[in-house]
Amino acid sequence: MNTTDLTQSPLTDDGSFEVQLEKSGQILRVTKDQSILKVLQDAGHDVPFSCSEGICGTCLTKVVAGTPDHWDMFLTPEEQEANDQMLICCSRSQTARLVLDL
Amino acid sequence: MFIKNTWYVACAMTELDALGSKPLGRTICNEKMVFFKGPEGRVAAVEDFCPHRGAPLSLGNVCNGKLVCGYHGLEMGCEGKTVHMPGQRVRGFPAVKSYAVVERYGFVWVWPGDQALADEAQMPVFEFFDNPAWAYGGGLYHVQADYRLMVDNLMDLTHETYVHATSIGQPEIDETPCTTTVEGDKVILQRHMEGIQAPPFWQMAMSANGLDPQAKVDRWQICRFSPPSHIMIDVGVALAGKGGFDAAPEHKAYSVVVDFITPESETSHWYHWGMARQFKPEDTALTDKIRAGQGGIFGEDMEMLQLQQKNITAWPDRKLLMLNIDSGGVQSRRIIDRLLAEENKPGVTA
Repeated sequence: MNTTDLTQSPLTDDGSFEVQLEKSGQILRVTKDQSILKVLQDAGHDVPFSCSEGICGTCLTKVVAGTPDHWDMFLTPEEQEANDQMLICCSRSQTARLVLDL
Repeated sequence: MFIKNTWYVACAMTELDALGSKPLGRTICNEKMVFFKGPEGRVAAVEDFCPHRGAPLSLGNVCNGKLVCGYHGLEMGCEGKTVHMPGQRVRGFPAVKSYAVVERYGFVWVWPGDQALADEAQMPVFEFFDNPAWAYGGGLYHVQADYRLMVDNLMDLTHETYVHATSIGQPEIDETPCTTTVEGDKVILQRHMEGIQAPPFWQMAMSANGLDPQAKVDRWQICRFSPPSHIMIDVGVALAGKGGFDAAPEHKAYSVVVDFITPESETSHWYHWGMARQFKPEDTALTDKIRAGQGGIFGEDMEMLQLQQKNITAWPDRKLLMLNIDSGGVQSRRIIDRLLAEENKPGVTA
């Protein structure tokens, strides 16, 4: 049995990571050239979004576990450092898995 | 294509003031700009484009030195950065272009080109503005014609005989040859007529200046072009035999016709016209009278130029004649072309 906590592990070499949806437990893979938002949409999840470039804050999502890699211009530096929320349109992950409050 | 690394007159301060809390939208050298009074009343210019949804910011309002978009209330600052918007965090909003402006001589001047090159030291200098020995009055026309047609028009005053037959035109203009000289970036075209009857406008000016309007006069026109498209014309009459242009002030009525020609598009421009005079500078009623007269006279050029532009647009391949009377315009266009080539040299950013 694999007991490694992926939310504490570094990214894999191919730059991909997993997103786990807290409510359903569903796990989705986000490759290097995909956004979390795009993967969620492709999987049929209707999540709020607008600008898709980290400006408007519409897709702001709570982070339950794992560490995001912030690329947005919406959150303040302090908010980004807290790592408990992220903009899923442009921000990514520093850990092999992110658990989101979705 | 326009010379863009230079100062153009954007508007008169009075034009901006008259708008109150509304900004002024104006296209200059194909750049859509909006002018407004920022903090402490200093004029600023930014792109007339709201970064939110592309609305023209010129439809908005100015509130406490900020330009508030008339669509959803985005507040634009003087540097082209959004400073506030209700219900939004604006840190990531992309900036729009901002333009260097200078407030001088009662006008707002703008540098439409490379903002890193904007240089206040390159502002032209005029002795007749902000000078109690002179009076100035003027106005603005929006002309649907290539700005270079206005340059041609002002650098060849033989048209006065025909376009302005009832005010400043007279046959002696055609009959007197003109001389054109080029000094660096400047073109000077001059014509001196001797022992003639003054035309109606100048009879009025002579009367205003205490001279007998029926006396024979020596009349002069000295047109001075300087880049990008400013034309100052020394005009006047002196009692015949008193030295013409060089006559003592008590023998003449004279002024400077001021023309700031600002391109809008390839086929339209903003024509800031005016007259600066040294006689009776304190007489504001005379300033108004001259402004009204000049406005009427210069309005006569508009119809000609606009329909000339339509003809040229309809027949783009037809070559126009350049006669001896056109040498002032030809030389001015040559300077414009040379400066355009310099500004657009490969490797030089415009």
